[in-house]
Amino acid sequence: MIELAQQTRGGWCVVTIRGRADAEAADEMERALRAAVNQNHRVAADFANVDYISSAGLRAVLQAGRAAQERKTEFTVCQLRGPVKKVFEISGMQHVLRIEEELPC
Amino acid sequence: MLSMLEEFVLLAVDERTGQLESRHELGTGYALIGAVFFDLALTRKIDTDTEEIQILDTSASGNLIWDRVIAEMRGRPDVKTVRDWIEAMFRRNDDLEGEALASLVEQGILQHEKTKRLWIIDVERFPLIDGRAQKSVKERLAQAIFGDGIPDPRDIMLVSLAEPCGLLRCVASEPELKMRRERIEMLSNLETISRKVVAAITELDASFRHAPPRLS
Repeated sequence: MIELAQQTRGGWCVVTIRGRADAEAADEMERALRAAVNQNHRVAADFANVDYISSAGLRAVLQAGRAAQERKTEFTVCQLRGPVKKVFEISGMQHVLRIEEELPC
Repeated sequence: MLSMLEEFVLLAVDERTGQLESRHELGTGYALIGAVFFDLALTRKIDTDTEEIQILDTSASGNLIWDRVIAEMRGRPDVKTVRDWIEAMFRRNDDLEGEALASLVEQGILQHEKTKRLWIIDVERFPLIDGRAQKSVKERLAQAIFGDGIPDPRDIMLVSLAEPCGLLRCVASEPELKMRRERIEMLSNLETISRKVVAAITELDASFRHAPPRLS
């Protein structure tokens, strides 16, 4: 189960994600992130309240990152916590995505 | 669209001779199973995390290989990790390569030729009839390796699978690949399921090679 919300703050579109980023949630999360990337110049994905991410969830973030690269949208993944942060680190996502401790706005 | 398994096998077909590169290599056997797991992950039949594989959807897909593997997985709740699943599927000794080749022949991409060498030894070749699919796979892999952007997850998976089997040589020369070693390793690590599959291939291949010979 995942909850998604979107708001604009200080020139950034912040997509807040809550819950488990698993296969069940991956499509919805990817759609929300892609839509934000397509409609904004700067997008921050707030992962502060994501407590689990699977392979499918990670793939959804990668796809959003790809879309951002293609559209030249600034895209950052923020506030990774606990096991989710570890999964991002193990995967080396910092090599292809901008990852920040805090939200940029 | 071709399956990951079909793309992996197609990549192994030598475009000049129609022979299969690295055929019968142990690592390739594991990689073929890995390719099926990638297909299942991309079609959301399975998902993985850092520990286990989860089965998400057991409904029939119409792809005989996927449905057979999912049925096998459903019947074995004791097997949980990617490594254990690759080992379990390897023991089944399914001819995944043969099935993928047959499908590629049926789709008009390859043709099947059987000849005799020295009148005795059977030689099988699979010359390309339509080279577009293989060209597209090679171009996508080259773009993933030599570009700097984020590749499609499908291409990331294929790079990670081709690398331990030596099949990236079909895409670029050794010196060119050496220059992009860091990028290839980064891509191979990026996808949770491909990282797990590659680790399993490497471990199983090494354990088999270092196993003491059986005494009969």
